[in-house]
Amino acid sequence: MKCSDEVLRRVRDLRRAGSLQGDHVGTGEVGTLDEGTVMRIQVRREGDRIVEARFKVFGCSAAIASASLVAEWLDGAAIEETGTMTPERIVRQLALAPEREHVARMAVEAGLDAVRTAK
Amino acid sequence: MIYLDHHATTPVDARVLEAMLPFFSERFGNAASKQHRFGWDANDAVERARKQIATLIGAGSRDIVFTSGATEANNLAIKGVARAAEGAEGSEGGRDHIVTIATEHKAVLDPIATLQRRGWRVTVLPVPASGIVDVSALADALTERTALVSVMAANNEIGVLQPIREIAVVAHAKGAWVHTDAVQAVGKVAFDVEELDVDFASMSAHKAYGPKGVGALYVRRKNRDVKVVAEIDGGGHERGMRSGTLNVPGIVGFGKAAEIARAEMPAEATRVAALRDRLLDGLRAKTDGLTVNGSMEMRLPGNVNVSFAGVDGEALLVSLDDVAVSSGAACTQAEPSHVLIALGLSNDRALASLRFGIGRWTTAADVDYAAKKVSDVVARLRQMSPV
Repeated sequence: MKCSDEVLRRVRDLRRAGSLQGDHVGTGEVGTLDEGTVMRIQVRREGDRIVEARFKVFGCSAAIASASLVAEWLDGAAIEETGTMTPERIVRQLALAPEREHVARMAVEAGLDAVRTAK
Repeated sequence: MIYLDHHATTPVDARVLEAMLPFFSERFGNAASKQHRFGWDANDAVERARKQIATLIGAGSRDIVFTSGATEANNLAIKGVARAAEGAEGSEGGRDHIVTIATEHKAVLDPIATLQRRGWRVTVLPVPASGIVDVSALADALTERTALVSVMAANNEIGVLQPIREIAVVAHAKGAWVHTDAVQAVGKVAFDVEELDVDFASMSAHKAYGPKGVGALYVRRKNRDVKVVAEIDGGGHERGMRSGTLNVPGIVGFGKAAEIARAEMPAEATRVAALRDRLLDGLRAKTDGLTVNGSMEMRLPGNVNVSFAGVDGEALLVSLDDVAVSSGAACTQAEPSHVLIALGLSNDRALASLRFGIGRWTTAADVDYAAKKVSDVVARLRQMSPV
């Protein structure tokens, strides 16, 4: 087993893991158990900013780290900045193996869905 | 870091290392040098080790063929028997069938697959959830054309012990030879080639506190005219069955490890089994949704293999930063274990499985810590799951 130090750090330090409830919360959930990965990212929006972001994941270490990174990017971000999230940035920052790139795409999709549904 | 992966490999016992060290330097002779004292000394050391290993398994010294490890021993037995059968009988009317089971190590399944590509007929028998092969089903699979039955003595993942003696009875009734990959059994549980009546047994030093890079194949000489054709030619070492300069320090270490295992096995097996049970009790007390894979009754004393519902196996393994265990999962390749799949586990459950291997120096504190750590990580991963 060989994972990058950044993936290991994020798996062991689960900052922003959890759920959000109440008003102005948007949720993005992608994946299925059959596919082996389910990822949920939630954000709380105030005006044109995200003021809080949380994630939950059933999946491998790369999936956990990807969701963690997207939640970190979203937390405190201006809505207009959220479009800069890309799977490529995740792959680069987490040094993901090519086989794991799909979880980076899932994390971005879940994050953007959360932003879109936060009113 | 707590090491609970003793099926993968074991540390070299200090007594083994001490026995080996002179054979790297001042006693460096080639065991095949017949003309001088250096060679005689090396040869004496090899023969002493051969005797130590033979004694551990109830064999004669001349039944032991040294190899580079168990993979080579398995290849020698399986392909060597096949080549002997091909040479003896020709393709018409001869023996051209091999029987094995689905939970074998790849070091058995892959050489058999090679023979299949060469035209051999192969039967790979399924196993039930216990992991123990049904001997009557195995008997039904045998024909007058079966050359070899290869069933492991103890499984490397789930530790399950196979009924080798019963398998030998039905195989010999059809005139087939019996090979067993005994890598995980030798030195851990009683293993006697006469009691079990096997014709070939593969062994490896590093699974029993000896060095890596040395193993042996037991080849029966008593009672039956077992024939095997060498895979490696060149010098006729090991009675022509395995050419190549002998790894004298490794063989000396293997012999010493066998001597220690023979003396300490009964007490060690009891102690290790108690620690294994303590680990399992600790896991069960702290975690629900836990399943033991394979029979607990017919099992190596130091092994337990468990699946955890509702967690990803790779994430579980990565989170266990200071407990070394193994699973079928890997960071870049989430292939489930073929052994666990053969028991009927789903891919998810097979991937969310851990193999614990207790060893000679494992302590109660080690297993208590591991039980708590694993339980904490499982709870954390479940809490983080959105499903």
